[in-house]
Amino acid sequence: MKFLALIFKSARRSKRRTALTALSVAIAVFLFASLRAVLDGFNAGAAGSSSTRIITIRSTSLIFAMPSSHANAIRGVDGVRDLSWANWFGGIYKDPQNFFAQFAVDAESYLRLYPEILLTPDEKQAFLDDRTGCVVGDGLARTYGFKVGDRIVLQVGIPIYGTQDFTFTVRGIYRAGGTAVDNQSMMFHWKYADERAIEKGQIGWFVEEIDNPDRSAAIALAIDEKFTNTPYETKTNTEQQFMASFASMFGNLNLLLGSIAFAVVVTTLFVAANTMAMSVRERTTEIAVMRTLGFPSQTIFFFIAGEGMLISLLGGVLGAGLAVLLVNGERLGITGGFVPAFGVSPRNALTGLAISAGIGLVAGLVPATLASRLKIVDALRRVA
Amino acid sequence: MLIELRDVTKMYKRDTLEVSVLDRVTMSVDEGQFLALMGPSGSGKSTLLNLLAGIDQPTSGSIRIAGAEIAGLSERQLAGWRAQHVGFIFQLYNLIPVLTAFENVELPLLLTSLSKKQRRDHVMTALDIVGLHDRSGHYPRQLSGGQEQRVAIARAIVTDPTLLLADEPTGDLDAKSGQDILTLLQRLNTEFRKTIIMVTHDPHAAERATRVLHLEKGTFVAA
Amino acid sequence: MGLIAGYNLRSMLVRKGTAAMTSLGIAMVVAVFVMTLSIAQGFRATLVASGSPDNVIVMRKGATSENVSAIAKPQLALIESFPQVLSDSSRRPLVSPELVVIISLPRIGDGQPANVPLRAVGPRAFDVRENLSIVEGRRFEPGTREINVGRLAVGRFAGLGIGSEVKFGSAVWTVVGVFEADDASFESEVWGDIDLMLPAFQRNEYQSLTAKLTDASAFESLAAAIDADPRLQLTVRRERDYYAEQSQTMTTIIRVFGTFVTLILSVGAMFGAMNTMYAAVAYRTREVGTLRALGFSRSRIVVAFLVESVALSLLGGIIGCVLALPVHGLSTGTTNMASFSEVAFKFRITPALMVAGLVFSALMGAAGGLLPALRAARIPVARALREI
Repeated sequence: MKFLALIFKSARRSKRRTALTALSVAIAVFLFASLRAVLDGFNAGAAGSSSTRIITIRSTSLIFAMPSSHANAIRGVDGVRDLSWANWFGGIYKDPQNFFAQFAVDAESYLRLYPEILLTPDEKQAFLDDRTGCVVGDGLARTYGFKVGDRIVLQVGIPIYGTQDFTFTVRGIYRAGGTAVDNQSMMFHWKYADERAIEKGQIGWFVEEIDNPDRSAAIALAIDEKFTNTPYETKTNTEQQFMASFASMFGNLNLLLGSIAFAVVVTTLFVAANTMAMSVRERTTEIAVMRTLGFPSQTIFFFIAGEGMLISLLGGVLGAGLAVLLVNGERLGITGGFVPAFGVSPRNALTGLAISAGIGLVAGLVPATLASRLKIVDALRRVA
Repeated sequence: MLIELRDVTKMYKRDTLEVSVLDRVTMSVDEGQFLALMGPSGSGKSTLLNLLAGIDQPTSGSIRIAGAEIAGLSERQLAGWRAQHVGFIFQLYNLIPVLTAFENVELPLLLTSLSKKQRRDHVMTALDIVGLHDRSGHYPRQLSGGQEQRVAIARAIVTDPTLLLADEPTGDLDAKSGQDILTLLQRLNTEFRKTIIMVTHDPHAAERATRVLHLEKGTFVAA
Repeated sequence: MGLIAGYNLRSMLVRKGTAAMTSLGIAMVVAVFVMTLSIAQGFRATLVASGSPDNVIVMRKGATSENVSAIAKPQLALIESFPQVLSDSSRRPLVSPELVVIISLPRIGDGQPANVPLRAVGPRAFDVRENLSIVEGRRFEPGTREINVGRLAVGRFAGLGIGSEVKFGSAVWTVVGVFEADDASFESEVWGDIDLMLPAFQRNEYQSLTAKLTDASAFESLAAAIDADPRLQLTVRRERDYYAEQSQTMTTIIRVFGTFVTLILSVGAMFGAMNTMYAAVAYRTREVGTLRALGFSRSRIVVAFLVESVALSLLGGIIGCVLALPVHGLSTGTTNMASFSEVAFKFRITPALMVAGLVFSALMGAAGGLLPALRAARIPVARALREI
C-alpha cells in the first residue's frame, strides 16, 4: 500500500510524458472499442435472432419472389405454428441518398411473429385499421422527424410496383425490443402494395414460427420439399443463418476489423514500451540508490511494472469512457440503410480496459526487468 | 572489531584485460571510529567503500561486519543486510526528485514493518538532528546543495544503521556548506557514537576524522 | 545546417532502441493506412475498368441502375438502327440486351450464401465488351443452356469450374468457359443467353442495352436522338460514367472508414514521436547549449530537430509501405450496395497511395517533433552548459 503511493508519485515525474503515453493508450482503447462495437453491430441481428423463427426464400436467390399460394402449403407442414410474409419495397424517399429499409408486410401476423416490435395498443390498432398506414422505427423517426399522423411519400424503386408514388400515413412509432428487429425501418401493408403491383401475389420471403427449435432443420427441409421440382423452389433457413449471411455480405469483416484492431494494439505497445524504456533509462541512478538503500530487485521490478500499468490503465479508462460516450451509430448519424445500429457495450469497454492493462504489462516488462537487474555500482558510476 | 577485512581482492575485466582494483587488502575498524580513506583517483577507495556497503562483491577474500560474513551473500540477502546495517551518503546526494524531504528520508523505513506513526517519528527525529525540521515538506529542487546533502544524511541515519558510509560527501559543495556537513558528521560520531567511514581526497576533510588510511593502486600505503 | 542535421541523425543512431520503436509505431500506422485505402482503390478500379470509353448503356428513363430498369423487347431493334451504333464486319449492330439477376451460391471462404450476379446477355456481348477474353474453354453457344463464368467468380463462389452444372431457374446450366476482363466487375459474373434466361426467370423484358458506338464522340448525337424519339422512354449513359457512379457509395464508405481509423491511430503514434523527441532534447541539452554558445541560431536548432523527427518518421513510413505491399493483388470481395451483388476485386496499392503514405508519415513526424524542437531552441545557453 505504501509502495502504491510511491508509484503514483513516480508517475508524476514527467507529467507531460505520462500524459502523452496515457493518451496514446486512450486512443488505442478508443479505436479498439469502436471497432468491436461496429463488428458487434453487424453481428447483432444474428445474435438476437429467435430460435423458433425460420425464413423461407426462393432458392435461386432473395431477389426472386414466390407466389402467395405457397402460404397454404407451408402452413400444412408439420411443426409450423404460425406464418407471415414480407416484401422488400425499395422505394425512394425524396432523394436516393435517403436510404432506409421499407417492408411490405402481412401486418397482423407479422406483428405476432415479431413481438420485438413494440407498439402501444392504440398505435397497433390504428395501423391495422388503416390500409395505407405505416409504422416507423424510433431511430428512423428521429432521423427524419417523423411523427404519428405524418404523410410519407415514396417513389417506386422496383418496377413491379408500377410508376405512381405511394403515400402512407404514420400510424405508430415502434421501439425495437431485440436486435432481430432494427429501429431504422418502415413497415406497411403488403395488401396495399400488392393491389397496385403489376404482378399480383408476389411474396419476397416467408417467416414461420415453429413449435420445436431442435427440429428446425427437419421442418425447414420439409417446407422446401413441398416445392422441389416446381417452378418456385424454396430454401428455408433459421433466422440466425439468414441474418448471418447479411453480415457476411460486406466481406470478411471479422478479419478486416480484427486486423486493424491488432495493428492498433501493436502500435500502442511500441509507444508505451518506448516511454517506459526512456523513463527507466533516466532513472538509473535513482534505481541504484533505492537498491543501495536495501530495496530488493524484485520490488524495483514491481515499481516499474506497476508504473507502466498505472499509466496504461489511466489511458484505458479515458479511451473506454470516450468510446462509450461518443461511439454510437445513431449519434454519429451513419446508421440506417445497410449499416446496423451500433454502440459500445459495457463488455466492449471492459475488454478495452483489459487491453490497456495488457499493454501496460507487456510494455513495462523489459524495462522493469532491466531495472531490476541493474548492477548498482555501474549505475552509480555512470553519473560521476 | 566491528569491521574486519581479510585479503580482499577486486578484479575487473576490460575486454580481455584483467585489472586489479584492490589487491589483497586487510584492515579492521573498531566501533565508534571515524575513518577517512584517502588516495588518488583510481586507487580503489570508492571500490572499497562499495564493498563495505554490500553493493559490490569482492573477487576473493573475507568481509566480516558486526560478526556476519557478507562476501558471498546473494543479491537478495545483501539487499536485506544493507537495509539493516548501512547508511550510504553519496557525493551527488541522490535524492529522489518527486519526493519531499520527508518522503526521501522515509524511504528506507518503508522496508521495515514500522507503522506510519512510528515512521513519522523516526523521520522527524532524523531531520531534527540535521537541522532541517522545518523544510520537511520541500522538494529537492527547492533546497540548496548543502541542505540536500543534509537530507541525504538524515536518510542515511533514519534506520539507525550499524555504519555510515560516505563517498566524497563534500565533493559537490562550496567551502562553507562543506564545513557544515563535516561538522555534522563529526557530531554524529562523537555525540551519537556512529561508526563512519568516509572516502575523500581533501586533506582538510580528512583532518576531521579520528583515523586516516591511504590507498594507492589497490593497497594501503603509509601516509 | 547540414552539420547539425548530420550530427542529429548520427546521435539518433546512438539511441537506436528508442528510435527503432518510434519508427515502428509510425510504420504500423502507415501500413494500416495503405492497406485500408488499397481496398477502396481496388474496388473502384474494378468497377471503373468495367466501363469502356466508346460504350454506352441504355436504360429506362428514371432508372438509377440497371437492376431497376426495364426495356421492352421491341426497343432493341430501334436502338440497333441508330447510325451512331457500330456494326461488326458482318454488318450486325454491336448491341447486347442484358438482364442482371442474383443467384445464391455458397462462398468458398466461409460457406455463406453469396449474391452472385448472373448477367443474361445477347449473342454479341463479347464483341461489345472488347476487353473480355476467354482463358479457358469457349464462349457459350447461343440458344443452349451453356454459361460462361468470370475468372474471379470461379475463385470466389463454389461450383463454377469448367464442366460444372449449376442449377437455377428450374433448369440445369453447364459451364463451358472461363473469361477474364482485366479485373473488371464482369469477372465476378456468370454469363448466359438472355433469350433462354428471360423465360427461366419468368421475365419478359430486358433491363438494359449495352452498345458500342462508332466513336466516343457520337455519344451526344445519340443521346439527342433518343431524347427526340417519343416511342423511346429511355436514357443513355456512357458506360464509364455509369460504373463510376455505381462504385461511388461503397468507395466513399471504405475511404471514409479507412481514413477515420488511420487518422485516430496516427494521433497515438504522433504522441509516441513527441515523447521520443522530448527525451532526445532533454538528453542532449548540454550539446544544444554548446552549439548555441558557439553561435548556432535558435532556428537552426529547431530545423535540426524537426529534420530528425521527420527522418525518423519517414523511415517508419517506408517500412510501413513495405509491410503493406504483400497485400497488393490479394483477391477479396464485398457487396456493392448499388446492385446488391457481390463484386470480387483485388487489393490495389498504387504508387500514388504509397507516396500519400510517406507524406502522411512525414506529417506525423513534423507534427510530433514541432513542440520538442521549439523547446530545444528555448534552452538557455548558460543552464545548458551547467547541466549534468
